Amino acid sequence: MGRFSGFLVTARQMFKPRLTTEYPEQVREYPARRHGRHVLNRYEDGMEKCIGCELCAGICPARCIYVRGADNPPDDPVSPGERYGFVYEINYLRCIHCDLCVEACPTEAITETKLFEFSWNNRNDSIYTKDQLLVDDDGHPRKQPWEAWAPGQDENLSEWVRATSPSGMAEYEGRVSWSGDLGHGVRDPGPTQAELDGREEID
Amino acid sequence: MTTGQAQTDTELVTLTIDGREVQARKGELLIKVAQENGVYIPRFCWHERMEPVGMCRMCLVQVDGMRGFPPACTTPVAEGMVAHTDTEPVKKIQDGVLEFLLINHPLDCPVCDRGGECPLQDQTLAFGPGESRFTEEKRHFEKPIPLSGLVLLDRERCIQCGRCTRFAEEIAGDPLIDFGERSDRMQVVTFPDEPFSSYFSGNTVQICPVGALLSKPYRFKARPWDLSTSETTCTTCAVGCRGALQSSSNRLLRLLGVDLDAVNQGWLCDKGRYGYEWVHADERVLEPSVRVRNAMVDVSWPEALEAVANELQRAIELHGPSSVAVLGGARGSNEDAYAWVRLAKGVIGTDNVDAQLGDGLPADAVLGLPRAEIDDLDQAAAIVLLGPDLKEELPVLYLRVKQAAVSKKVPLLDLAPVDVGLTPYATAVSRTVPGEEGVAAERLVAAIGGRASGDAGIDAFAAAATGRSGPVVVVLGRGSVAQSAAPTMRAAAAFAALPNVRFLSALRRGNVHGALDLGLAPGFLPGRVTLDAGRGWFAPIWQTVPKERGLDAEGILRAAADGKVRVLVLLGADPVADFPDTDLARRAIDGAGYVVAVDAFLSESTRRADAFLPCTVWGEKAGTTTNLEGRVQRLGRKVSPEGTTMDDWRIAGELAVRLGNDFDLEFVDEVTDEIATVAPAHAGARSQLLRRSRDGVVLPVREHLHEIMVRTGDLNIMAEDGPAVSWDPIRVDAAEPSEEGDAAHEVDEARGEAERLEREAPAHHEWDRAANVGDAPGRDAYALRLVSGRELYDGGRITTCSPSLAPLRKDSALMVHPQDLARIGVEEGTQVRVTSSRATVTLPVRTHPSVPAGTARLPFTADGRGASELIDTTTMVTDLRVETIS
Amino acid sequence: MTTANTSEPFSETRIVTRRLHERPDDSWTIDGALASGAYDSLRQVLAQGDPSAVQAEATASGLRGRGGANFSTGQKWSFLPKDTFPRYLVVNGDEGEPSTFKDRMLLERDPHQLLEGIVIASYAIQCNLAFIYVRGEFALGHDRLMRAIADARAKGFIGKDIQGSGFDLDVVVHRGAGAYICGEETALLESLEGERGMPRLKPPFPAIEGLYAKPTVVNNVETLSTLPHIVRMGGEEYAKLGMARSTGTRVCALSGHVKRPGNYEVEFGCTFRDIIFGLGGGIRDDNALKFFLPGGASFQWLVEEHLDEPYDMDHAAQKLGTSLGSGAVMVFDETTDPVRVAWRLAKFYSHESCGKCTPCREGTGWVEKILYRILHGYASPEDFEMVCDVADNISPNFMAAPFNQTTLCPLGPSVASPIASLAKYYRDEIIERIAAQQAEVPA
Repeated sequence: MGRFSGFLVTARQMFKPRLTTEYPEQVREYPARRHGRHVLNRYEDGMEKCIGCELCAGICPARCIYVRGADNPPDDPVSPGERYGFVYEINYLRCIHCDLCVEACPTEAITETKLFEFSWNNRNDSIYTKDQLLVDDDGHPRKQPWEAWAPGQDENLSEWVRATSPSGMAEYEGRVSWSGDLGHGVRDPGPTQAELDGREEID
Repeated sequence: MTTGQAQTDTELVTLTIDGREVQARKGELLIKVAQENGVYIPRFCWHERMEPVGMCRMCLVQVDGMRGFPPACTTPVAEGMVAHTDTEPVKKIQDGVLEFLLINHPLDCPVCDRGGECPLQDQTLAFGPGESRFTEEKRHFEKPIPLSGLVLLDRERCIQCGRCTRFAEEIAGDPLIDFGERSDRMQVVTFPDEPFSSYFSGNTVQICPVGALLSKPYRFKARPWDLSTSETTCTTCAVGCRGALQSSSNRLLRLLGVDLDAVNQGWLCDKGRYGYEWVHADERVLEPSVRVRNAMVDVSWPEALEAVANELQRAIELHGPSSVAVLGGARGSNEDAYAWVRLAKGVIGTDNVDAQLGDGLPADAVLGLPRAEIDDLDQAAAIVLLGPDLKEELPVLYLRVKQAAVSKKVPLLDLAPVDVGLTPYATAVSRTVPGEEGVAAERLVAAIGGRASGDAGIDAFAAAATGRSGPVVVVLGRGSVAQSAAPTMRAAAAFAALPNVRFLSALRRGNVHGALDLGLAPGFLPGRVTLDAGRGWFAPIWQTVPKERGLDAEGILRAAADGKVRVLVLLGADPVADFPDTDLARRAIDGAGYVVAVDAFLSESTRRADAFLPCTVWGEKAGTTTNLEGRVQRLGRKVSPEGTTMDDWRIAGELAVRLGNDFDLEFVDEVTDEIATVAPAHAGARSQLLRRSRDGVVLPVREHLHEIMVRTGDLNIMAEDGPAVSWDPIRVDAAEPSEEGDAAHEVDEARGEAERLEREAPAHHEWDRAANVGDAPGRDAYALRLVSGRELYDGGRITTCSPSLAPLRKDSALMVHPQDLARIGVEEGTQVRVTSSRATVTLPVRTHPSVPAGTARLPFTADGRGASELIDTTTMVTDLRVETIS
Repeated sequence: MTTANTSEPFSETRIVTRRLHERPDDSWTIDGALASGAYDSLRQVLAQGDPSAVQAEATASGLRGRGGANFSTGQKWSFLPKDTFPRYLVVNGDEGEPSTFKDRMLLERDPHQLLEGIVIASYAIQCNLAFIYVRGEFALGHDRLMRAIADARAKGFIGKDIQGSGFDLDVVVHRGAGAYICGEETALLESLEGERGMPRLKPPFPAIEGLYAKPTVVNNVETLSTLPHIVRMGGEEYAKLGMARSTGTRVCALSGHVKRPGNYEVEFGCTFRDIIFGLGGGIRDDNALKFFLPGGASFQWLVEEHLDEPYDMDHAAQKLGTSLGSGAVMVFDETTDPVRVAWRLAKFYSHESCGKCTPCREGTGWVEKILYRILHGYASPEDFEMVCDVADNISPNFMAAPFNQTTLCPLGPSVASPIASLAKYYRDEIIERIAAQQAEVPA
């Protein structure tokens, strides 16, 4: 029997349910707080949330963000306040999707989508410019030619940060503390960590 | 004054701070003593260089035996004092004061230029409450309003510490800002219709503890964490202020003043602070070019160098070495100057070399007069001003002289031809008739000698100076470029007779003293030795040494105009703009056979060049400079040069190779070291020593070795952890060289080198005052004598190519005494025809009571217009006829 | 509670206010003044010809400053450094303390008495130039003072060689521009020099480095008005008036909910009951007394149980934890909302804070805002504790007297006094009230 004993393992597995999904034809459901590529959000009135403060660039451990601020033109302001993000670039060859930029952002301008399927054959394309990162007039990410999107990945862009802000304290879970997004209004805060974990509420 | 540093003396006292016994000089302020002993007491309003006011109440401490909570910034230490800085009541007060400061302070840190290096942020983190209990609406004002063309004020962020207003009044002497309104609406205001147009306004931005005062040029350009810093020396003028140069993404973005006690004490003028913009100007020439059939064609460096070397070779062979002349070099580094001197004098063999453009003082006086150090001003018996307006030409020297006169109560005599910035602080004023400076000097010598001089002001000054110890410091310069240097020299000859007299030469170009020290002047060789004295020393080191003394700038230009100069090298020089006689300069450039421009910009002069060799500029190159007291300091290289520009010294070396003489100098430090080995005055000033010494070294090195402080730390603007320091005096820690320390080796080596050269090399040049006597020129009763000096924001390249400074230029007008205007018979502001022996120009005329009758003031604008059209360099003075236009 | 509304009849001791009561029609004119003995004391002093004797009399009289700090006048003069000239006398007539109007009366009704005091004081300290800083709003007082100076000059009481004594004195009058802080002596000196009215650091004290950095004595109008009488009566005799170290009389400006408000000159040692009931005629409409401010707005309040405490400077400071301050007594009856009073005082201090030091500049405004919320029902129960803590940050240990300060001058701690008074007497009331307000607001 010795030489057939190895087949026993195979035979046993043959009748169990399959775990493999047929990616990319089938896309499984991703965790709610998956870190994908970034978007730059806008307020409901269309103003950009980014104020060019460079805190994201300062915190980035991969040094993949390059930001420069400039004086808001008084007659045609880009963002509320004095300063706006004049240059905003993320190099996705370097980005490790740690989300520290999202944590650092004082205006929730930068958040991460669940979009992660993008590849290019040109190093220049790896640097997303402000135009590519900024949400479109409906508040959705702008699809780049080399990106593959699965349904729903472009939704709930800022859910994760809303659920815990400010400063990630548990008592702010479930509370919306910021102004609405273009095309979406004030978003639902999304599930709390406890709900995601299937636990009782944190008290 | 009673509580200030004025009381400080040398008596030591012992006191206890937080249970630790420390020693300090009696009368020193508790806050400073604590900091020096490692106890940081939080503060906002106190600045070490200003009188304490105790306004912010952040530094309250407890002192045994004193009721309540005295502020550490106004409490002088005393024997047996027991101070507590970390008790519960003190901590509660610190919490409370910070909470108070923050109730009306907007939390817009993300868009604030100070965010990340903000003393309020840092101290709130270290000493403040975690949260604010203030729930009401904060105070609101319109976001930044301009105080001047350079400084913006965000009144919401202001914490009313009064640092800026006190700086403007106490330090700068321009009390153009003060507080308006009361209580929490209190705000810094300017006077109506009068901007904060101080030449020192940028310092208020540096010392502001919050982001209330902002630099317009730096606004939103970067955040503190993406700046990198190099220590450097400002070369805008010859004072040599220490600075911290910061850049991001290879762009210069900010210059901060570093507190060098001996020189700038932390302050910078606005031209120096914001003048970095010209480095990145679009007008910069970045590639070499040569003239081919009347058009400039970009070529490669080897081609350009080959072309220039061929021209030089041909000129030497056909017309002899003296057919080559070099003008300029006062804008570069010491290394640039040395390499070009070695090329000109040691390879080509010409002595027709001058770093000055006829607007300074003769090199033999500058190099030979006994020198003062800037620090001598504070301890001087008296200070005499004979020269240009320091506020316009050497602004930080103005601050030092003002400090000496006001805070140290040193008698100050103003002998300038018209009112200058220091006139309000002068003990006595005696207006000299331009051209008759020698007479005034002789009167002063008489008055100090105890004889009546016939001038009440001078007598009063002499009386005030009598009985004071210390040197008499004469700030010597040309009071007007419209007259020759001869009257100033005659005055210098008189002053030189005073006992213990020392001179500060008020020449303005950045490294003019370095250039002269290294021999960029006719008749001199590197290290303050004359051509004749140094020939024997340099001949074996260099390939050749000029046979005879050459021409100065005026001589070179005249020779060029006559077609006698085959190759004219313009080393960052623009004679058309800077030489007092524009017409002569134009003719000279046209008349020169072949013009080589080593420059960064096209100018009136370099536009006509046959070969343009673009050089690196300040901020892009390392090396050393020498300031007006002879202090050699290092330059910081902060950004990479754009294009293919090359350091000047390297261009000289490349040309030398092509002329058959390899300097064998690879790195800039090797040039510094060669200077330290061959130039007698520089003997021992090796690059290693300069790198290790905090304050640079003063020449001649062997006389100043004992002053060397060895740096024990690096310049640190953004502390890794702990408070940012840019708002407090930025200092580099240093110690005296010790026997065991590794720096002792360098100092010893310097001493050895200096002693060797003292034995072997020729002696330093000393000035012969007997050669400088002469008569004052006669005067035409109907003419107005022209007085012309520079203004800080002139038509020079730093101003015109820096977008922030360019709008600050003032219109120039002929200024006369009201009485003279009446005599001319026109209204204020009318265009008049002004005629000198050289030219006739049309100008508006205005009056100012500070211009003495019989005199007319016209700024020298450095753009080839105005005064430089009128000045006649063939006469000692320039007299003007002013007529109405009919 | 109305049992307290009774008192024995009480009468004034008129020394400083004698002339203006005796000659209500012409007390401010030179003729009226001379007819009632003005400048007699000056002649006596000049005839005696010994400045140090005047100083000795002043010291013997026990006279203490009537501006609010209660500092001994003779001692203040003695701080002047010997042999440093010129030196100046500055008269503080910038009476800005809420509810205080005694100097105003003395300026308007008896300017010659003040001038006589100024000349005597100047003679005593040997200064030849005196400055009178008059509150800008005192239009009538200023006019009468100017007139009085002109008349006195004409009669040779001011100017060169006064009354043939060889002593010169010139008097300069400066009108303020409406800043409470300029009543603080160093701010007053700044203002007089043409600078912004902000207190100076002390030390140096004005006696060493005052006006134009010269030794300077700053005295209150009432203090100087008392001097001629001290000279007339003799210091020892004057010292017999009053009690303990509070010698003489005091012009007390009585205001608020009393039947007969006004200026009353009383001898130290009487009781508050004597002033409020004996002189003031009791509370309006015979209401009950709620509380009273014993010395202007800057010190802690007193309540009914203190009515029989003696009117004495040291007693007030040491036993009652307050001060007789500027001599103003402000009375509030049972209809008064103490929070409203505290808020109004805080609003005053917030408006008048000069802005120089942080705790006062920011703290007074904050206190005002919190009290406003408590007053109008926008407060939460913690807010009262918070306002107490804010007051504590301006004046550490603010419930106790004498007060500490984190500020440069006493203006900041003044705002803590109403808070301390609220906390002392009405804490429970206020906390209940906030709770009630909260209950009304739907959650």
